[in-house]
Amino acid sequence: MLNGSKLYNFIINKEHHKYRHSVDWDLASEYSEKNLSPIERMIDRFERVSNEENPVILPDEKIVFMRTVSNLPAIFTEKEWDEIKSSHYIHELGFISNLSPNYYDTIKVGLLEKRKSADEYGKRSIDSIIALSDRYLKEAQKQGRDDLVEVLSRVPRYSARNFREALQFFRIIHYALWLEGNYHNTVGRFDKYMYEYLKKDMDAGVYTEDTALELLEDFFLSFNKDSDIYVGVQQGDNGQSMMLGGMDENGNEVFNLLSELCLKASCNNKLIDPKINLRVCKNTPAERYTEATKLTKAGLGFPQYSNDDIVIPALESLGYEHNDAVNYTVAACWEFIIPNVGADVANIAALSYPKAVDTAFHTSLISSETYDEFFEAVKSEIFKETEKIHNSIKNLWFVPSPFMNVLMDCDIYSGGKYNNFGIHGTGIATAADSLAAIKKYVFNEKSISKEDYIKAVDDNFENSPELLHKLRFESPKLGNNDDFVDTIATALLDAFADSLEGKINCRGGIYRAGTGSAMYYLWHANEIGASPDGRLSHEPFGTNFSVSLFANVKGPVSVIASMSKQHFNRAINGGPLTLEFHQSLFSDDDGIVKVGALVKNFIDRGGHQLQLNTVNLQMMKDAQIHPENHKQLVVRIWGWSAYFIELDREYQNHVMARQAYSV
Amino acid sequence: MSGTIFDIKEMAVHDGPGIRTTVFFKGCPLRCRWCHNPEGLSQKPQLMFKENRCRHCGLCYKKCDHEECKPFGRCVHICPQNCLEITGKTVEAATLADELKDSAKVLGNTFGGFTFSGGEPLFQYKFLLELIDKLKNYHLCIETSGFAQNEVFKTVIDKLDFVIMDIKIADNDLHKEFTGVDNTRIIENYRYLKASGKPHIIRTPLIPNICDTEDNLSAIKKIIGESPWEKLPYNSLAGAKYKMLGMEYGL
Repeated sequence: MLNGSKLYNFIINKEHHKYRHSVDWDLASEYSEKNLSPIERMIDRFERVSNEENPVILPDEKIVFMRTVSNLPAIFTEKEWDEIKSSHYIHELGFISNLSPNYYDTIKVGLLEKRKSADEYGKRSIDSIIALSDRYLKEAQKQGRDDLVEVLSRVPRYSARNFREALQFFRIIHYALWLEGNYHNTVGRFDKYMYEYLKKDMDAGVYTEDTALELLEDFFLSFNKDSDIYVGVQQGDNGQSMMLGGMDENGNEVFNLLSELCLKASCNNKLIDPKINLRVCKNTPAERYTEATKLTKAGLGFPQYSNDDIVIPALESLGYEHNDAVNYTVAACWEFIIPNVGADVANIAALSYPKAVDTAFHTSLISSETYDEFFEAVKSEIFKETEKIHNSIKNLWFVPSPFMNVLMDCDIYSGGKYNNFGIHGTGIATAADSLAAIKKYVFNEKSISKEDYIKAVDDNFENSPELLHKLRFESPKLGNNDDFVDTIATALLDAFADSLEGKINCRGGIYRAGTGSAMYYLWHANEIGASPDGRLSHEPFGTNFSVSLFANVKGPVSVIASMSKQHFNRAINGGPLTLEFHQSLFSDDDGIVKVGALVKNFIDRGGHQLQLNTVNLQMMKDAQIHPENHKQLVVRIWGWSAYFIELDREYQNHVMARQAYSV
Repeated sequence: MSGTIFDIKEMAVHDGPGIRTTVFFKGCPLRCRWCHNPEGLSQKPQLMFKENRCRHCGLCYKKCDHEECKPFGRCVHICPQNCLEITGKTVEAATLADELKDSAKVLGNTFGGFTFSGGEPLFQYKFLLELIDKLKNYHLCIETSGFAQNEVFKTVIDKLDFVIMDIKIADNDLHKEFTGVDNTRIIENYRYLKASGKPHIIRTPLIPNICDTEDNLSAIKKIIGESPWEKLPYNSLAGAKYKMLGMEYGL
């Protein structure tokens, strides 16, 4: 096992950071003076930075390449960037993100072959990578590392001949994507495109399962060498997500020896990268859930499950061809994307359900005579909001990325085969619980007057403690397998999907409604005050497709029942139900089998996506006081796992506030 | 007929085969000093106060007209932190059975069955028998101290699929001292259980210096012979609930 070895400790103690340096080149001014086009700037920076990289090979390290230049200088002056932004819609940082490139073909043919069909910038990017890899080769020769000399003499120039070369090839490509300035660079269906190399070597007796696993652990470790440089909204949000299992084009299950070894490697390494996803379906055997639950027990917040039975037909109904739909993987978190040919922007914006309810509550409650009339007002707010989002995204532009373009089977500048936009939906439980309370107390029981209710919410319930208590703790909540509320969540999700139907985005694609929240569960929560479900001002929403933070729910069985009733075939951008289990649930094998059975049940019921967190509240409390004692404590945030102590307080507190189910 | 319960737990994984739902009966004839479910001792509703969340706002002392709050002199429907809760509710066996069947429906063939725990479920055996009758199509299990009249024990056990029974202390005097009751009946009931061939497991909580002594464990072994036996490690957090109930922990 790699865990505990010298190499492993060297990396987790960040000792390799000593090889790093930053550069203070003012590229932006230089490019501006020369009046270089964006793509010329990108390739020039790539050439310079890759030339600046120093090859580092650590003792015993089998999979090499690590970042030694810790920053990428800007390529536009502030003024230029402002100009670009004023005439374009810029998504997040403006660079390409959340794509799943064609690793398979690239590793299969080698970069020289890819070079033939690449454009001039693509060719230059390939030349830079080969030059850097040749410097690594020299370093390997200098160190007398014959094993690496053999590998690097072959890849990335030519096709990989075996498992080790294929893994090294992947590492070089993935590293280069980051170095180019792309982010949330996903791993895709790793066990599908890599298995043939492992199989060939296993058949030839090159590896035993143990030695193959050891190599894989070394490879997995490589994802953690530079990941601190790749910060998203928080440290850990880096999108290095790997997909395992699932159907192939012929309807056969992909899950193979490599998939199994990946689960084990992740379990052994206990590191947050790569982030493991598992595709499952009705036919997935119970034992696989048990194996996967062993990884859940490791406390890394994965695997995250996606349900082929739901996702594939839903993608097809959105217009994806069958062969593409069956090949889906996830973007950085949980958004469904198509490898090789898809250029969807799966996280372009987010709808806040509670805001729609809040607006309708303040403008239409008084005049509504029935609940249905009031719900129509909420629905109309959802339509207005998505229309606003639609109108705000015009002339979308990404900074060109020559190497990513080489790796995709489509021209990413003009758009891929799929150019759909995904929109998250935040706070569904807060909205559904609010509507359930309004329906029950205002329209059914008539026990609260509309005016009093609005005033109480506006006063943040300061003068109505009885009402607050009743709303928070004694009212119907999503997550209790209670149709009264669950159908409201369904209606909200349907309204969201309805509002996007028929809309064509600025790249000619459609919009996809989603069940994810990303960081909006904090951001959107601050856009409104208290809400009619008894949520106080500044209290956050639940993450993704989850119950409210303060809901008294009966338990995980009721939660999976409530959260698998909705029409996910119409809202398949992605976004999982998130369950937190106390560590004690996994204390014996029996518990592991039973958690696995619960997951299977959720999938068999038609749930679309699920992530499980293993939590220990005591440990988290202690980690806030003594962070130095809990450096390796990992928690799942909204679609990625992070080291607890590296998170901002508000994210830490949110994880601690989520409901944990114990035994 | 109705009975008193204090909790229903979904996804119980340590209370018998499969994913189970466990019903906790309120009321127990034993007074084990280490009991970790003190709300299961008295059959009466009790006020539970989660002090660690309390912000001392005093709202709960406001006069209210809720019938259920009257015995406690405090209102349980006003706390913004939900610190106050009445533990123990009276339910009709038929209503409870319907509610329980819902969770079974969710789990389908992954559902293991129901477990009756407590408190001591045999303490309300008439209610229990009615519940068993209404749930007879499911795998049913009991967690019991075994302290009940022999006839009651037999009648109930014969209708169940699996029995989890405690034998805590073999020596009768020590048993009386630490649990408040004689263990003669318990051992008689165990012998019946064993002879009946009913699938079962015996549990012994490893309470330091009381149950985990070599003498006690070897004496229990002598009684139970080859019956499956699970020794439960002592949970040091066991005393946490006493304070919430205004009770004192015996250990």
